[in-house]
Amino acid sequence: MNYAVLALAGLALNVSVPARAAENIQTPGPPPGIEQNEDWSPDAARVAGWIAGSQDNRKLPYAIIDKKTASLFLFDAQGKQIGRTPVLVGIALGDDATPGIGGKNLAEIGPAEKTTPAGRFVAKFGLAAGNQKVLWVDYATSVALHPVPKGTKKERRQERLRSPTSDDNRITFGCINVSLPFFTRNVRPLFQKKGGVVYVLPDIKPVEEVFPRLRVQPFLTGE
Amino acid sequence: MSPTFMKLAPAAVILAGSMGLGGCATKGFVRDQIATVNQRIDGLDTRLQTTDGTAKQALAEAQAASGQAQNNTQRLDQLNGRVDSVEQRLAEKQRRARN
Repeated sequence: MNYAVLALAGLALNVSVPARAAENIQTPGPPPGIEQNEDWSPDAARVAGWIAGSQDNRKLPYAIIDKKTASLFLFDAQGKQIGRTPVLVGIALGDDATPGIGGKNLAEIGPAEKTTPAGRFVAKFGLAAGNQKVLWVDYATSVALHPVPKGTKKERRQERLRSPTSDDNRITFGCINVSLPFFTRNVRPLFQKKGGVVYVLPDIKPVEEVFPRLRVQPFLTGE
Repeated sequence: MSPTFMKLAPAAVILAGSMGLGGCATKGFVRDQIATVNQRIDGLDTRLQTTDGTAKQALAEAQAASGQAQNNTQRLDQLNGRVDSVEQRLAEKQRRARN
């Protein structure tokens, strides 16, 4: 009986070691210099680690948008975290944009097309309809980062942004909305001059499919 | 000593002797076994060296490909920016953001 218990304990030890090692590869903590008390999702931490390790931002400020937790993490050109804020994203789940959607009016966009596409985007400030100054994330598909618009009463955008849960933050046509103070105090000063890079994490696709260099990063850095 | 013991003693000695000797292996047998194991180790060592070489070569190629990919990304970033600027300049009216 005692031998059986010992044998099972030994087996458990053998099994748990590789499982923990695999977990470490998949879910590293936030990279050095990034606030440890933030509740980073494993994918966001992984992408942040990759950007910091490879300096993929090319000396430009950058933002990581985690659609699943409706969060935006903002960094300066040196990779120092400037802040974190809740965001509103496209109401439809999905990581691609319908071809030609950039030329459509809002009324022509179908419910399934209201996605915030995932990927790496070189973003620049520019003017949108109504002389609105926005950070164009993907000009071709008309995805921009801008302060929360008034929207309709039914949409309750401000309330959704303020609510503690991220479950109600999917409401836009595909754009990324942040609060006006965060936009004017943090995003605009950082991105206005030279633009920056915006990394949008996927809803459905595996994160390595959207950021393929994540696959090779551990080998290149010898981690 | 009892007569029964006297009768059984030789049988016990023979039995013990045969059991003891049966458990021993000859030197030749051991040498053969070690030679086989050594041969297997040599084979594995050669295969390991080949695999190690292949892995190192693959890593070097991956690093080179990664560097190339980085350069391509940089060029694409620049091109994207230029295309967006041209598109914005040519547009008859300002594009509406997807709010």
